[in-house]
Amino acid sequence: MPDTVPQNGGYMVAAYVVGAVVLISYALSLYLRTRPRLPA
Amino acid sequence: MRLLRAGRWITAIALLLLAGVYVRALVYTPVERLQGLAQKIYYLHVPAAIWAETAMIIVGIASIFYLFLKDPRLDRFAHASAEVGTVFAVLMLTTGPIWGKPIWGTWWSWDARLTLALFLFLLYVGYLLLRSAVADPASRARFAAVLGICGMVLVPFVHFSVYMFRTLHPMPIVLKPSAPSLPGNMLATWLFSVAVFTLLYVGFVTQRYALSYLREQLEATVGGGDSGMGHA
Repeated sequence: MPDTVPQNGGYMVAAYVVGAVVLISYALSLYLRTRPRLPA
Repeated sequence: MRLLRAGRWITAIALLLLAGVYVRALVYTPVERLQGLAQKIYYLHVPAAIWAETAMIIVGIASIFYLFLKDPRLDRFAHASAEVGTVFAVLMLTTGPIWGKPIWGTWWSWDARLTLALFLFLLYVGYLLLRSAVADPASRARFAAVLGICGMVLVPFVHFSVYMFRTLHPMPIVLKPSAPSLPGNMLATWLFSVAVFTLLYVGFVTQRYALSYLREQLEATVGGGDSGMGHA
């Protein structure tokens, strides 16, 4: 049993940033693809 | 279109709730003593993995029914589920190595679970590539349905690989026959995250289904010309 908690918060932050980027990017891509282009 | 609007609303609500998951997981859920803060990746990685697998099962079931009934709605639904499943598979395969590095000391290991999970992702990519490569809608739907059923057959091997082989990947601590080995506070955060990912899946699939439907309608009216929508 280690005496101290491992210091690896950077990996957690990286994973949560990746998660947000992936999910928001896909939500945005769906929004843009379903939005009809305006006529020129 | 009502379906599209509903999908957008569900997605918007799910994204707001996802912010709630982030706050609950990062601020209000205790830190696991052995793994440290990296253990909190669990609240993203596992719900993403559950929906990467479930989405493929749904693709397979819709595909089986499509082959019998030839209903284009089933093909559209399978396509939508496959695209959304790919997104969750990407999330699973990116958060997994980020968690693995501080805990296992390596980003990746070619063990049964990780390799089969990668294979599931490649099957998703193959499914989407196949759909974009076949022009005839009836052939496209039929070929894709066969691949979708193959994908569904792969899922139990992915899930049970930790029992069948010696792997670096840990066994399930919640989705197992006995009681979950997770403290109440952590379990509540995990269940909240699974519920939000479920809502995200529903919102994404509803929008993706509506997109396919709109595209088919526009192609039918303009005779396959520029529909005013982007490509799939």
